[in-house]
Amino acid sequence: MASLNKSELQRYSRHLLLPEVGIEGQERLKKARILVIGAGGLGSPTILYLAAAGVGTIGIVDFDQVDLSNLQRQIIYTNDDVSSSKVERAAARATSLNPEIQLQRHDVRLSSENALEIFSGYDIIVDGTDNFSTRYLVNDACVFSKKPNVYGAIYRFEGQASVFAHKDGPCYRCLFPDPPPPDAVPNCAEGGVLGVMAGIIGCIQATEALKIILGIGNSLSGKLLIYDSLAMNFDSVAIPKNPNCPICGTNPSIQKLEDITVTCESQQAPTTVSISATELERELKSGHKLLLLDVRTPQEVAISRIADSTHIELAELPNRLSELNSDADIVAYCKSGVRSNKAVQLLLEHGFKKARNLEGGITSWAKEIDPSLNVY
Amino acid sequence: MLVHIPSPLRSYTKNQSEIQVDGDSVQGLLANMDKSYPGIRFRMIDEQDGIREHIKLYVDRKQIETLNMKLNGTETIHIICALSGG
Repeated sequence: MASLNKSELQRYSRHLLLPEVGIEGQERLKKARILVIGAGGLGSPTILYLAAAGVGTIGIVDFDQVDLSNLQRQIIYTNDDVSSSKVERAAARATSLNPEIQLQRHDVRLSSENALEIFSGYDIIVDGTDNFSTRYLVNDACVFSKKPNVYGAIYRFEGQASVFAHKDGPCYRCLFPDPPPPDAVPNCAEGGVLGVMAGIIGCIQATEALKIILGIGNSLSGKLLIYDSLAMNFDSVAIPKNPNCPICGTNPSIQKLEDITVTCESQQAPTTVSISATELERELKSGHKLLLLDVRTPQEVAISRIADSTHIELAELPNRLSELNSDADIVAYCKSGVRSNKAVQLLLEHGFKKARNLEGGITSWAKEIDPSLNVY
Repeated sequence: MLVHIPSPLRSYTKNQSEIQVDGDSVQGLLANMDKSYPGIRFRMIDEQDGIREHIKLYVDRKQIETLNMKLNGTETIHIICALSGG
């Protein structure tokens, strides 16, 4: 067992006073190896608390850089970290908090090629990812490597947490066997999230990871914790182990690790006819008569808009089609092109003769044509 | 009955996270929900009356597989949706 030095005995004194931790438990934490996938909203508080708690080795997987829009919830970073490697900055921050521990940097995109090898160096995996593709990959790799998957997810004012693939408990696929179809579930970049949700759920993940190492209490294995911040309710529902689970059931169909592609994030088919930002600008400058249809939410419109647009939110569009001229040449846009693609499909299904989708949405327009627009 | 609504479906319930709905079965409850909040049922139930894969329905915290389940009006319903954000 790793023994504690004098400085560590002082640093962890409030842990040592707990009968459930004590010197033996703290030494167990020092010996533990935890991998955090995603150094984002959930990963930020998880990494900080695991580091403060004295987890001896913390691995961080992320391939991204810090963006200004991350700072509303990714509290491990400061303003000075914008544009820097997340893994580098998160590891540096955790080291400055607790120089007694080791940080392992995995500045890569997790894939079926590297997941099992990376996981092999750790006891527990914490899922702090922000997309379904990686969540299913993390689950599957945890099942194959028989390591607990400490799960958390957030959206708007809601959070979920659980522990999957722990001992004989259910895995994520026992609950949701396959990823949702593209666009069925929006992500935080599209729908927003209250920043503090990441803090609360990330701290629950850190708690569950520490409990597993210490062997204390009851874990969330077999339960899904649901946090509704609007009603300020914590509730939980049972997750039974699914005998028909495609990966951990009695007759599993998934035999090896594979990448899962869920393209809900942006460029997904079936695509409609699209137009690039530069082509659109050319057509507008040539005097071609177009109707620019903005299908974003009023909150997004308040941040920025393309001049002379008509605003009808996508959710309202089916009931407001009569407000549009079906002979008009329409170019629909949203933030990134996903919702406007749906709007164009809807228009074409309802007899509109010409409707196109602005590729990359107002984000591309701001980048390529009008940098004065606010981006979000 | 108290029905807990997941974030991705709250655009139908005027952003309410909890609503009160009556129904003598899960099928009836969903039909009544759709009357009050048009379109919400289709986000949970497919054309073959199956529960969509990314949605789970719970009656008194136990997962259900069939919409025929009878309700006596005192149950608590949770609708759970797969979330990806982090």
